[in-house]
Amino acid sequence: MLTKYRIGEGWLGYPQSHRWSAIADVLQSGSGLILGLFLLAHLHFESSILLGKAAFYRVANVLEGGWFTSSGHGSSLLTQTFSVFMLLVVMVHAATALRRFPAQRRQWQALRNHNLLINHQDTRLWFWQMVTGFLMFFLVPMHLVTMITNPEIGPHLSAARVWHDNYWLVYILLLPAVVIHAMLGLYRLALKWGVNFHRDGLRLLAKILIGYLLVLGLCSLTAYLLIGSGLTTPVTPFIP
Amino acid sequence: MKLIYTDALVVGAGLAGLRVAIEAKQRGLDTLVLSLIPPKRSHSAAAQGGMQASLGNTVKGDGDNEDIHFQDTVKGSDWGCDQIVARMFAHCAPKAVRQMANWGVPWTRVTAGPRQVVVNAERVTLEEAQAAHGLINARDFGGTKKWRTCYTADGTGHSLLYAVDNKAISLDVPVHERIEALKIIHDGKRCYGVIARCLITGELRAYIAKCTTIATGGYGRIYEVSTNAVICEGIGQALALETGVATLGNMEAVQFHPTAIVPVGILTTEGCRGDGGILRDKNGHRFMPDYEPEKKELASRDVVSRRMTEHMRKGFGVDSPYGPHLWLDITLLGRKHVETNLREVKEICENFLGIDPADAWIPVRPTQHYSMGGIRTKPSGESPQLKGLFSVGEAACWDMHGFNRLGGNSLAETVVGGMIIGSYVADFCEQEELQLDTRLVEQFASELQQEIDTLLATNEGEDAFELKLQMQRTMMDYVGIFRNGPELQKAVDELKSLLERSRHIHLKCKKRHANPELAEALRVRRMLKVALTVACGALARTESRGAHAREDYPQRNDKDWLCRTLSSWPDANALEPSLSYEALDVMQMELPPGYRGYGADNAIAHPDTAKRQQQIAEILQQLGDDASRQQKQQALMPFELPEHLQPQNQRLHELLARGEKS
Amino acid sequence: MSRSLTFRIFRYDPQLPGDAPKMVDYQLDETPGMTVFIALNRLRAEQDPSLQFDFVCRAGICGSCAMVINGLPTLACRTLTAKYSDAVITLMPLPGFELIGDLSVNTGKFMRELAERLKLWLHPKAQQADIHHLEQPMEPEEAAKLYELERCVECGVCVSACATAQMRDTFVGAVGMMKIARFELDSRDARTADDFYHVIGTQDGVFGCMTLLGCQDNCPKDLPHMQQIAYLRRKMAGTLIASSKV
Repeated sequence: MLTKYRIGEGWLGYPQSHRWSAIADVLQSGSGLILGLFLLAHLHFESSILLGKAAFYRVANVLEGGWFTSSGHGSSLLTQTFSVFMLLVVMVHAATALRRFPAQRRQWQALRNHNLLINHQDTRLWFWQMVTGFLMFFLVPMHLVTMITNPEIGPHLSAARVWHDNYWLVYILLLPAVVIHAMLGLYRLALKWGVNFHRDGLRLLAKILIGYLLVLGLCSLTAYLLIGSGLTTPVTPFIP
Repeated sequence: MKLIYTDALVVGAGLAGLRVAIEAKQRGLDTLVLSLIPPKRSHSAAAQGGMQASLGNTVKGDGDNEDIHFQDTVKGSDWGCDQIVARMFAHCAPKAVRQMANWGVPWTRVTAGPRQVVVNAERVTLEEAQAAHGLINARDFGGTKKWRTCYTADGTGHSLLYAVDNKAISLDVPVHERIEALKIIHDGKRCYGVIARCLITGELRAYIAKCTTIATGGYGRIYEVSTNAVICEGIGQALALETGVATLGNMEAVQFHPTAIVPVGILTTEGCRGDGGILRDKNGHRFMPDYEPEKKELASRDVVSRRMTEHMRKGFGVDSPYGPHLWLDITLLGRKHVETNLREVKEICENFLGIDPADAWIPVRPTQHYSMGGIRTKPSGESPQLKGLFSVGEAACWDMHGFNRLGGNSLAETVVGGMIIGSYVADFCEQEELQLDTRLVEQFASELQQEIDTLLATNEGEDAFELKLQMQRTMMDYVGIFRNGPELQKAVDELKSLLERSRHIHLKCKKRHANPELAEALRVRRMLKVALTVACGALARTESRGAHAREDYPQRNDKDWLCRTLSSWPDANALEPSLSYEALDVMQMELPPGYRGYGADNAIAHPDTAKRQQQIAEILQQLGDDASRQQKQQALMPFELPEHLQPQNQRLHELLARGEKS
Repeated sequence: MSRSLTFRIFRYDPQLPGDAPKMVDYQLDETPGMTVFIALNRLRAEQDPSLQFDFVCRAGICGSCAMVINGLPTLACRTLTAKYSDAVITLMPLPGFELIGDLSVNTGKFMRELAERLKLWLHPKAQQADIHHLEQPMEPEEAAKLYELERCVECGVCVSACATAQMRDTFVGAVGMMKIARFELDSRDARTADDFYHVIGTQDGVFGCMTLLGCQDNCPKDLPHMQQIAYLRRKMAGTLIASSKV
C-alpha cells in the first residue's frame, strides 16, 4: 500500500523527528531534576533568615562567591549569571513540558471528564502539578528577571523588596506553586525512570516535603515581611 | 442484503477456528472468520491447566510417546472414541506444542537439577536431567500414565489463544466481530456458507464460502451452572442440526469437572490436583484413595466427579446455603507454588470466595464443564452428510474424546485438530468449486428475516429469559452426573414443552439493532433443540459409559452400545430429534475394549473383543520382535495424515539413547 | 436481611435517533455472593431487556466486562456488590472506546488496530526448529518472565484509566507498551532495540507517557506497568544515545 511520503529528517540533515521525543523527554526530566533540587537548596538558604540577619548575610555572601573576593562580600554578578542560567533551564523545562499541556479545548474537556469519571489520586496530583506549572510560566520569570535586574541579596535589601516593592504578592503565589510542582515532579521523576519504585513511601515523602517546605517558606516570608515593615526607605544594606 | 464471498469461512474465533483460518490463509486462500466477540475473549482463554503432548522432557514423562498418549486417550474415552482420530491426534500433539513455541507461547521450561513436587500428598524431590534444561516442561493430569501436560503456569489457554490470534493478525486474517451465524445455507447435499446477524446493527448478511468450518465451542450453557463462558450456548451445533441433514454425535456425552467453586461454578484447574492438591470431605478426610486406590484424585474426570457425588450422597458433603460441597486442598503445595503456578486459581478464590487458597481449602463441587458431543465429522473434519461443512474443536464430534475427555486433551484438540483439519479445509478449497444459485441464499435469508419479523411483531407470549432458565434448570435437575430413565423422560417432556412454547416468544424490546432480548430469543429456541438431543440421547442409551452414568444401567455395555449416537432434526416442526447409531468396529481397533484402570470394572464384553485380541497377538507375532513400535502400530491400525504432518516426532530420550545429545 | 441496591446505570443507544445519554436507576435485592455480573443479568432478565453489556467468561479471565464502577475502572464480573457499603452502585461504560450502547464498548476493535499498528506478534528469528524436531531450549526464568508480562487480558482498563490516552487519541497506552516490553524480552524475537524504538520511541509511545500510573493502579491483573514502562524509557533513551554517536 502506498503511504504519504514526507521529505525531511535525514535528507535535510537534522535528527529524525521522533528522536526529538526522546531528547525532549530527557531534557524535560533533566531540567526538572535541576530545578527541583535547586528549589530544595534555595528555600533552605533563604530560610537562614530565621536564624537571624547575620546568618542570612553570611549565607548570601558565601553563595555570591565571597570566598573568592578580597572583600569577602562576593559579587552580585554571580547572582545575575546564575539567574540567567536558571532562566535558561526554566525555558528548557517549560518548552519541553509544554508538550504535556492539554493545548486544545477537546483535550481539556477530556481531562475534565476523566477527572470527574475516574477516581485516581496520581492523576489528580498531576493535575495540580500541571496547574501550578502553568502559573509558573508567569511567576518564575517575574522572580528571575528581578534577580537579574536587581540582584542585590541581603537581609535588608531582600526584605525591602518583599515589603516595600510588594513582592510578597508574587512570593505568596509562587511559593505554593513551586513547592507543589517541584515535589510532585521529583516524585514522578523517580517513578518515571525507575530510580525507585517504593511508590507509597515516595508519595508520602513528597507530601511531607510539600508541607515542610511550605511552612519553611511561609516562615521565611513572614520574617522578611517583619524585617521589611521595620525598614525605612531608602534602605541601607545590613552590615553585621 | 450484503453478500460476502470467501474461500474458507470459519465460524468461531477460538483456538480451533483461528488455527484453521491460519492454515487456510497460509495456503493463499481468502479466509474470513466470524465471531460473537473479539477473538482474544474466546473461551479457549479460560483453559488453565495445559495441553497434553508426549514430549517426555521431564523425568516423570521419560519414555512417553504417541502410543501411551493414544492408550490413555482411548481409556479415558471409555472406548467411545474413534481410535483412528485419537491416533492422528496423539501423533500431531508434540508438533503442535513445538509450533506454538515458534509462534510465541512461553511454555514453562524444565530446570535441570532437583525439583520439589508434591505427589500423593508428600513432598518428593525429582532430579531433572541436564540435557532437558530449557526444554518444555509437563505436569501431571488425571487419567494419564506419564506427566504429559505442557503448560504456561496456569494460563495455558490464554497464552495459546494470544499467540494464535497474534499469528492470525500478522497474516492479516480478517475477523468480523459481534456477528452471529444463525443459518447454514445448503441444498441438502452441499453447504454454501451462512446467514449471519450483526449484533450491533442487526443487519443480516450472507457469507458465501467454498467451505464453512464451525468452531463455536461447546454447549455447556444449556445447564444453569457451568464452568463455560456465557457464549458457549451450542448455537454451532444448532446450526448444523437445523439443516435437517447434518448429524450431531454423542450429544449425551457431557463432562462434569470435579473442581468448580461453589456456588458460581468457576473452574479451578485440574492442575491443582495434578500438582498434588487433594480432595477432602466435611471431616477433613481425604476420601478419594478409599474409592480409587491407584489413581486417587487423578482418575479421569468422570470417575472423580461420580465418586465425589457418591461421597456427598453418603452425607459426607459440607453443608452450605447452596447445597453440599467438598473441599479442594492446595495448601500443602506451599504459598510459592500457589502464587506462581496456580495464580489464576488464587485470583479466582480471592475475588469470588474471599479466601486465600494458600491458607484455606476451596469449596468445590462437580460442575458441567465440557461437551464431548458435537457436529459429527469424518477424520478430515468434514460432515459425512453435508459436503463443504467442516467442524473442529469442542463444537465437533471428530471424536477423539468418546464419552469422556482427559484433562489437557481439549486444549490440545483445538490446536492439533485445527492444524490437521485446517489442512484438509485448505485442500478442499483448492480442489472444489462453488456453484451457487443466489436464490438459495435469498431463501435462507428470508427465512431468518421472517423469524425476526415474527418475533418483533408478536404482542403477547413467552419470555425468552424465562424459557432459557427453565431449560437450564431442567438440564441441571434431570440430565446431570447420575441419570436414570424416569428423570430423563421427565427432562425430555419438559424440554419438548419448552420448545413448543419457544415458538411463541414475545419481546418487550422491539429494536432491530443491538437488542439483547432478540438475540436471546433467537438463541433459546436453538438451544432447546440442542438440549433435546442431549436428553433424548441420554434417555435412549441404556448403559453407562464414560461421563454418561445411568443409575438404572450401571454397566458399560459393549455388546449393545459400542456405538455412537447420531442425532438429526429432519422435520423442522418436530419436537424431538431423530436418533440413529453408528457402530464402532472392534475388529478395526488398535486397542480393543477392556478395563480403564480406574472406575468400576463391570463392562459387558463385545463378542468381537476376544477375536480382535487374538488377531492383534497374531499380527504382532508375525512382525517379530525387531519391528519398531511404528511398524507395529501401522500393522494394527493404519491411519492417514496430511503429508507435512507425517514425519516422526523427535524426543530427548531417543537422542540420549543414541548418544546425540549430552 | 438483604439490602436493596440501587444501580445507577449509564444508558445511551447511539444508533437510536434522538436518544440522549442519561443515568437510570434500578433497584435490586442483594443476594449473598452477588457480583455485578449477576446483578446486570438479573436486571436485564427481570426489568429491562434492552440493557446492553458484555460478559464472556464471567471469571475475570477474558477481559470483556471492564466498566467504571463507582469511579474505578475494573472487571465487572468479579466485582462483589458487598464491597460497596453505600448501597448505590454507579456503572459507566469504559471511556476512550467506541460506545456500542449502554455499558458495551468496542475494545476488540481498538486492540486489533493497536496490534496491527505496533506489530504485536512474535517476529521469529530466521532459524527456527521445525515442528518435528526437539524444540529450542529457553531459560526457565525467561519463560516465567514472559508469562508474567503476557497475563494482560486486553480489558482496556489501563487505557480508560490513563488521562494521557484520554487526551491523545494516538497515544498507544500502557497495553501497547506492555506488549512491546513482552516481545522485547523474548529471545525468540528478531527485532532489535532500534526496531522497537521506531514503534514506541515517540511522543505517542513511551516518551508521551506522563507516569500518571492509572494503568498500574487499576490493572485487574496487577501487571507491573510502572517498572516496564520505566525500563522501556531507559532502554529507548539509551538507544537514542547509542545511535547519536554514529
